[in-house]
Amino acid sequence: MTSKGKLVAAALAAMLTAQLPGAAAAQELKISNFSYRTGPFAATGIPLTNGLMDYFTLLNERDGGIGGVKIDFAECETGYNAEKGIECYEKNKGDSIAVMPWSTGITLQLLPKTNEDRVPIILPGGGNSAMADGKVFQWVFNGPDSYWDAASMMLQSVGGKDLSGLKGKKVGFLYLDIPFGREPIPFIEAKAKEVGFELVLVPVGIKEMQNQSTQWLQIRRERPDYVLMWSWGAMNAAAVNEAIKTRFPIDRLVGTYWSAIDDDLQMAGDAGKGFRAISFTAPKPDAPVLAEVQKHVVDTGKSLSTEDQRAETLYQRGLAVSMMISQGIRAAQEHFGTSEINAEQMRWGMENIDITEAILEEAGMGGMLPPFKTSCTDHLGHSGGWILTWDGNRFQQSEELFHAERDAIAKMEEEGAAAYAEANAPWPVQTCDG
Amino acid sequence: MLFRTGGQFKTSYKEDIALFPVRQDAILLGVVLVLAWIVFPLTASEFVFQTLLIPILIYALAALGLNLLIGYTGQFSLGTGAFMGVGAFACYKMVTLMPWMNPIVAVLLSGVFSAGVGVVFGIPSLRIKGFYLAISTLAAQFFLVWIFEKWSWLYNDNLSGAIEVPNLTAFGVVVTAPRADSVMTYYVILAIATLITWLVMNLTRGALGRSWKATRDMDFAAELIGINLMKSKLTAFALSSYIVGVAGALFVFMWRGAAEPALFDIPLSFRILYIVIIGGLGSIMGNYLGAVLIVGLPVILGTVPEALGLEIASARIEQINLMIIGALIVFFLIVEPHGLARLWELIREKLIRWPFPH
Repeated sequence: MTSKGKLVAAALAAMLTAQLPGAAAAQELKISNFSYRTGPFAATGIPLTNGLMDYFTLLNERDGGIGGVKIDFAECETGYNAEKGIECYEKNKGDSIAVMPWSTGITLQLLPKTNEDRVPIILPGGGNSAMADGKVFQWVFNGPDSYWDAASMMLQSVGGKDLSGLKGKKVGFLYLDIPFGREPIPFIEAKAKEVGFELVLVPVGIKEMQNQSTQWLQIRRERPDYVLMWSWGAMNAAAVNEAIKTRFPIDRLVGTYWSAIDDDLQMAGDAGKGFRAISFTAPKPDAPVLAEVQKHVVDTGKSLSTEDQRAETLYQRGLAVSMMISQGIRAAQEHFGTSEINAEQMRWGMENIDITEAILEEAGMGGMLPPFKTSCTDHLGHSGGWILTWDGNRFQQSEELFHAERDAIAKMEEEGAAAYAEANAPWPVQTCDG
Repeated sequence: MLFRTGGQFKTSYKEDIALFPVRQDAILLGVVLVLAWIVFPLTASEFVFQTLLIPILIYALAALGLNLLIGYTGQFSLGTGAFMGVGAFACYKMVTLMPWMNPIVAVLLSGVFSAGVGVVFGIPSLRIKGFYLAISTLAAQFFLVWIFEKWSWLYNDNLSGAIEVPNLTAFGVVVTAPRADSVMTYYVILAIATLITWLVMNLTRGALGRSWKATRDMDFAAELIGINLMKSKLTAFALSSYIVGVAGALFVFMWRGAAEPALFDIPLSFRILYIVIIGGLGSIMGNYLGAVLIVGLPVILGTVPEALGLEIASARIEQINLMIIGALIVFFLIVEPHGLARLWELIREKLIRWPFPH
């Protein structure tokens, strides 16, 4: 009765077990990227994934991979669905040197498994900010900057380095009401108390993402001096449009990493002029790396990107993130004296990334991301970021490189990590020398 | 031939009302149970556990709960996802407030909370039915998910607003996801699913089940022959929500390991509704068949190109997959509008008569 259902499942499952992929082909380092080229966030996922992929294709085509070993940058489509994320993880954990889930939700589910499976998770500019603590979160790398870093830099961009410009002001915080959007609230609240500005929280439910009229009515009523915006996907364009419609001065609206999306602002055009967002990468359409990509990847027909896309922030962020990972691979290869590193060695490599100006120049990425270093205790690097301003056509990068306020954040990171370890006891914690 | 019923004589009432009057059905069930209890756990890989066996069982259990309500009692509900959420959050609160509690007991108790909530949202069913009732259960869906988001006590003021499952042991072994062995969680889920399925099978054949069916078929006629509609409807809501709540607790504690409130939103309710409709309304086996089709098949299809050695981009596989599943749903519903369970019934009838059509 209940049974025949299981019977069918059985037969199929039995077939599957026999066929499931075992070891990967030798001589390749596999990185599993959980892409989201489909689903509600595809507009973000496509350019980003193309950028990530094109950089590894470039390394494979031009240099024959890293240290003589090709990189197998394998995509597994999730459509931003956490269930698919588990599927992708189980399918790829065995033969990958790293997985990139691109989702806080998926990462939270995978986190406890990584201690046993021993596969590093790379989650650039995402996840919980406390994951920066390398002692507790041994297997996660969400650098080069966390969301608390972003919040700190965004506040600096409106209030000056010491935030004194915010004293007595009113700051609105418009955020997507999911873990991603709530992440920076404790930091901003702490700052509000410390500096003395009033914080107005304006949550946007995931269902109201595309219709924020009530939220903007509230903003109009409250008349904040600045609005910080924690948005992505379909929420960006709607927020910018509502801001224009309600005549909120757009140059007082500051977005987070994933708000700086060209396509979303393109629709607003000139009316969006002055919109700002923080970013740990800067778009450099003239960077030598783009010419290289054009020559080795695009012209040989190995890229899925379009010309417009390659000039955009997200695509170039994809390139920069891949470069960061490739540095991790290189570090591991040098340290262990082997080109074919395994996942455990990759973890060491990610802990010892040292990106200098010279390395950036060599990669043809001068100025595309700030130099930074990771360590056993600090998995992020805290590279800092630039403010990108929309000029009606493209995002332009600020002169000044912002740096998050480390002291306050480091303390919060430590507390957050300790709380996580306690809630998930027994949780293995690594010790770091020096 | 395989299903020849000739020679199976019933000599007592007891035999006649047995759960499986036809011997072959019982044998088949035995085979399936052996597969589920012995063969799969011994042979399945981690991937099969995590993406096929465990989710199929959990979804089937949730669908079983919903089927009691829709298929057996005729009360339409769109709040399944939220009731699963009640189970999951209740379980989370219990194990964090009372860490000494056995997690399996906590899972079974968490259903009690969702049953309570289910009864409250079932009260409108005494006055309204059909689409109107569906809308009032939809209200449960909005209201409960809103509560999960706003009431931070429910998720212990976790910064991210998500519940994360702590490591819990039962009888000295870690049983909660994600730290536990998949075999362990699988057996826990299988035991609970088997137990509940067996109970429901008997329940639906008994007095209570008959009063549900009478309510479904014509409620005022049922009332005229002396069935207490209030009792029949509310017990259906309670039991259905209980099972759904247990499935929700299993969903988070034995499989996902972490959950955001948005997980329990309408898409989850619809997914379970699909399983019920495609599996077959008013059928117990149908829930399992439906779960295999809706939950298992996409995973299996996704591995086909790789197994065949075809190089297809992952995003394209995903899109082809969606199309195939969509087409299959339409196909199965056209071939047999009463669902997969009915399809199996027809095949079985044919087998019994084989090789003589009529």
